[in-house]
Amino acid sequence: MTDRQVLFSALREAVLGGDDAAAGRLASQALEQGVPALEAIERGLVPGIREAGQRWEEGEYFLPELVTAAQAMKAAMGLLQPALDREGATSALGTVVIGTVEGDIHDIGKTLVGTMLSASGFEVSDEGASVPVERFVARARELDADLVCASALLTTTMPKQRELALALKGSGLRAKLMVGGAPVSRSWADAIGAQGYADNALAAVTVARDLVGHRATG
Amino acid sequence: MRPAELHGLTRTRVLMLDGGLGSVLIAAGLEAGRAPEWWNLEHPERIEEVHRAYLEAGSDVVHTNTFGGNPLRLAAAGLPGRCREINTAAVAIARKACGNEGLVAGDVGPTGHMLPPLGPATVDQLRRAFSEQVEVLADAGVDLISIETMSDRREALAAIEAARATGLAVHASMTFERRSRGVFTIMGDPLVPTLVALVEAGADAVGCNCSVTSSEMLPMIREAAPRVRAPLSAQPNAGQPRVTPAGVVYDASAGAFALDLVAIAEAGASLVGGCCGTTPEFIRLARAALKETVGR
Repeated sequence: MTDRQVLFSALREAVLGGDDAAAGRLASQALEQGVPALEAIERGLVPGIREAGQRWEEGEYFLPELVTAAQAMKAAMGLLQPALDREGATSALGTVVIGTVEGDIHDIGKTLVGTMLSASGFEVSDEGASVPVERFVARARELDADLVCASALLTTTMPKQRELALALKGSGLRAKLMVGGAPVSRSWADAIGAQGYADNALAAVTVARDLVGHRATG
Repeated sequence: MRPAELHGLTRTRVLMLDGGLGSVLIAAGLEAGRAPEWWNLEHPERIEEVHRAYLEAGSDVVHTNTFGGNPLRLAAAGLPGRCREINTAAVAIARKACGNEGLVAGDVGPTGHMLPPLGPATVDQLRRAFSEQVEVLADAGVDLISIETMSDRREALAAIEAARATGLAVHASMTFERRSRGVFTIMGDPLVPTLVALVEAGADAVGCNCSVTSSEMLPMIREAAPRVRAPLSAQPNAGQPRVTPAGVVYDASAGAFALDLVAIAEAGASLVGGCCGTTPEFIRLARAALKETVGR
């Protein structure tokens, strides 16, 4: 293996093992060695977070492992971002506004989806938990977002996704809506007129790519 | 009720708990996104009506409308500093509905604050929040404390420690799902060792609630019953909620749920009831089916 391959593999392992200190150290090392930030992300961090997502899917990883992997990725991304901007490599797939709907303080799933989307090349604005419908819409307008992602973890807060769907439709914005959360289903997404639905963070990336792709071709 | 009394009750019969409360309140008009605890102050009569419906359907125990009644969660719901007021009101409502008949379980749910690595909360912080709530519940006269829907063993243990200090009987239930390698909480706590740990920490009855349907919970109870040396509880959901133009509906029919609860009782659970999406109708059918087959 070349030095770079060793470095990429170490980055991948740091993310997979949820070691944010190592991920940060390796990211700095990559920059010192003149490795393009985009390459460090695509060949080190992204394979790491994907593998973590895969292990979650397969029942090998639980929430703590998955979240620490995301945190390690975030630590490395923080260091690589300025270089990425300098490289002019931010050919973002699209801009995403993400949050948990109003009245719902569940943060984890939404943060995970945001992290996976940003790891996959989306520009992500994470609005946090308990986000009012108006704020989703205002941020989508400000950023000219391609996608709005709204999570609801309670049957009591799911109807806010419907309100958001209606508000986005009425706003005339081009942003499409993707919904998710434990009680949310494909049929609910269809019923409220959301264009996208995903039941996990990995699937969310695929769906987001599709949604943005559809916009480009149609 | 002292711990020994709960043991005595569950030795001779299957104790029927109640079913979903939050989901029933939504059907009764609770606004989306609003904490159900508000209604203890605003619409006590509607809460009382739900308790009564469960008692009439055959519940021996009703849970107070205080699932989100710990001070950390109340603060997040826009009700900071109102732990005593809200929990006291909730117990009064349940007691009024019960009269001399049913038992009132003071309901305690998660704080919503995450322990490391997911969040910055400390076990101490959580324990203090639970202590504040259970002391109010005990002062207001609940018969037992019922801790529910925990997904982090450390948080469940903090709640048990707080609840034990009241001297009341303590029921503690966590929410498990089947993964490829077995049954775990979302945090990775495995079913049997976790329930055993809750018993060792002093819970008088332990079990599973929420997340899964009755047919999915049956094998969990079968797995746990021979290995957990305490009364076992089961409160499954009514299937995954679907939202239709008419509102949120749950897929499991009350009849199938009732038959599953009978099998769950036969597998060794001695406290059974329902969680999200179950209604008095689910409990009524389950009670009837239990009487017929288990004879108790």
